[in-house]
Amino acid sequence: MTFEAKIGNAEDLKTIISSISTLVEEANFVATSEGITFRGMDPSHVALIDISWPNTAFERYECDSENNFGVRIEEFSKIVKRAEKKDGIEISISEQNQMLITIGKNRKYKIRLIESSATETPLPKITFDSKITLSSSKLQKMLGDVQVISDYLTIRTDGSKAYFSGKGDSGEVEVGVEETKVHSTPRTKPTDKAPTEEKPELPPPDKADGGQIKVRTGETDVEDDSIEIYSKEDSTGAYSLEYLNPVVKAVGNSGGKITCEFSSAKPLRVEFKVANMGRIHFYLAPRVES
Amino acid sequence: MNLLQNTSEDIRKSILAKWHENLSKYGNLFSSDSVSGSTPPSVFIGSYNYPKVFVGPMVPPIHGDTHILDSPEKWTGKTLEEIVNFRLNLIRGVQKVSIHDVEGRYVENLQEITMSSKSIDSDLEFHKIPAPAVSLDGQSAPFGPVGEIKNVKFSGSSSTAPIEKIFYDRDLKSQDAVMSLYNSGIDISKIQRCFSMGMLGQKRRLVPTKWSITATDDIISKHLTDEILNYPVIDSCRVFSYAHLGNLFSVVLFPHRWVYEMIEAWYSHGILGFGSDSEDARGIGHRPAIAGAYFAAKLGVVEYLSRKKIQSGVVILREILPEYAIPVGVWQVREGIRHAMSISPSFAENFDHALDLATKPMNVGKLEWLSRGKIIRMLKQKTISDYF
Repeated sequence: MTFEAKIGNAEDLKTIISSISTLVEEANFVATSEGITFRGMDPSHVALIDISWPNTAFERYECDSENNFGVRIEEFSKIVKRAEKKDGIEISISEQNQMLITIGKNRKYKIRLIESSATETPLPKITFDSKITLSSSKLQKMLGDVQVISDYLTIRTDGSKAYFSGKGDSGEVEVGVEETKVHSTPRTKPTDKAPTEEKPELPPPDKADGGQIKVRTGETDVEDDSIEIYSKEDSTGAYSLEYLNPVVKAVGNSGGKITCEFSSAKPLRVEFKVANMGRIHFYLAPRVES
Repeated sequence: MNLLQNTSEDIRKSILAKWHENLSKYGNLFSSDSVSGSTPPSVFIGSYNYPKVFVGPMVPPIHGDTHILDSPEKWTGKTLEEIVNFRLNLIRGVQKVSIHDVEGRYVENLQEITMSSKSIDSDLEFHKIPAPAVSLDGQSAPFGPVGEIKNVKFSGSSSTAPIEKIFYDRDLKSQDAVMSLYNSGIDISKIQRCFSMGMLGQKRRLVPTKWSITATDDIISKHLTDEILNYPVIDSCRVFSYAHLGNLFSVVLFPHRWVYEMIEAWYSHGILGFGSDSEDARGIGHRPAIAGAYFAAKLGVVEYLSRKKIQSGVVILREILPEYAIPVGVWQVREGIRHAMSISPSFAENFDHALDLATKPMNVGKLEWLSRGKIIRMLKQKTISDYF
């Protein structure tokens, strides 16, 4: 059993860990030759995080068989936070059920792994009628605008416009946005099929043994203010800011575009791109008036 | 409504009048600067003057097996008056001790009697004659006169094995120690006394009795809640009801991942007062407004869910009638809910119907209950698993 991964940029790992820490205290990762994945729900099952981190996103990645490893997120996070931006981080699993973490060249940590629970979390079976793509700073700003009034965010799409609104004891708020981009290329459409049918979005490994050396080439998305709105059917959904805010804050600072997809009274899926090639899907169950 | 208020005062007056009659009849037992009797065993730590608190044994002027006097688990079915009379027999001896001082001889003696499986002969000598008083704090059970201890002697304790083992294990965390005792079948009231006497965990200190009651219920119910999160959700609503000591309890279980709300209603000067607290699977995260009753009731219901290996949403309604004239402690909530959960439930077609059944024996109506709680708002939040 071999598992060794070297992350060129400590920030990527920090982002992934802090997104997970908004939902759970203990996390079970799965490493295969194709990369590392994590999927888990918060204890109340209101939100789900699905992370896919392909081998191509690592500076070096070796994994010859499937490895499950569980960590206490707080312990793991404390160690990773010791790394500075430019530091590389190498992680591997020892025979003694420990994770070895090397920061830079010579700072070595060992932490005890926890028993990983074997329950497999499915993805919700939903399709999305509306899709909004915008910069993380724009989204954070709008969430902040709504939060001063309300604990819940209502998102409504109307053609190429979208409204972020909320109601609270003190009053109401509505923030409107319009599509800004002029399209020369076809826009990306919302995912039509249920995500459970999706194969993990991992690129095929170059070699069957997965033991290749990869060098990251891409840079993170350049922050732009463009907004893309697509609505197959105008939709309205209400979501708890108590769940949405922390994850957007945790991942948002890494910059990049955020895509929100939803349908009326159905879960919201927020996609964050991390480390150019990896992605975080955050699913949030709606609040429904009945 | 005035009528209700009078009922409450009348009952309290009548119970206390009988007690004073008792005092004068057996006055010689109490009006001395010493007491000789068997402690159940029982210890009490007040919260007054924290962190230098008043600690000591509770001893009735009776010899023999007095176990019943401090075993709320055995009080179900007794009347308010019987319970109060049990308790007022207990004379509380005190010495002022810092909560950090768990290794002094006095405290060690008290720890030893706390460990005991049977009543212990005790001789207390006081600086002056204990004042005949009645102490009620709402969380702990009431007790009688209090006197400052000059000398104390205990004889013939026999320790309970699981407690002794935990007492000498200084590597075990206090939460794990509580669970270990609970799983070996030790009564909650006994675990709570061990917790209070600083006998568990790595960093030991004395904990005032009323805080230790809440802490013990919280630790055990939290642990059981974590366990039931792995169990399948029930597929129909169940309603359990029970009444004792002027308290009406109804418990509604409904198909949902763990959410819990407790709503209480009481009569205060003829006016209805309400309080409520709630949590989801992430826990409550703050001190409940309805205090220890919240955890005591939660314990009673999660014990049931854990025993049946099921999970559900839970609403507990507690209507406190004026007949509950003297608060006898949160144990009665725990035991009331435990009793409710031991009776076979009514099955309801849906949540609304379940609430109809639950509120039927009560004076407060369904809509009033719901408007005082948060459960309807909480249930608007769907779960991801609803879409699997």
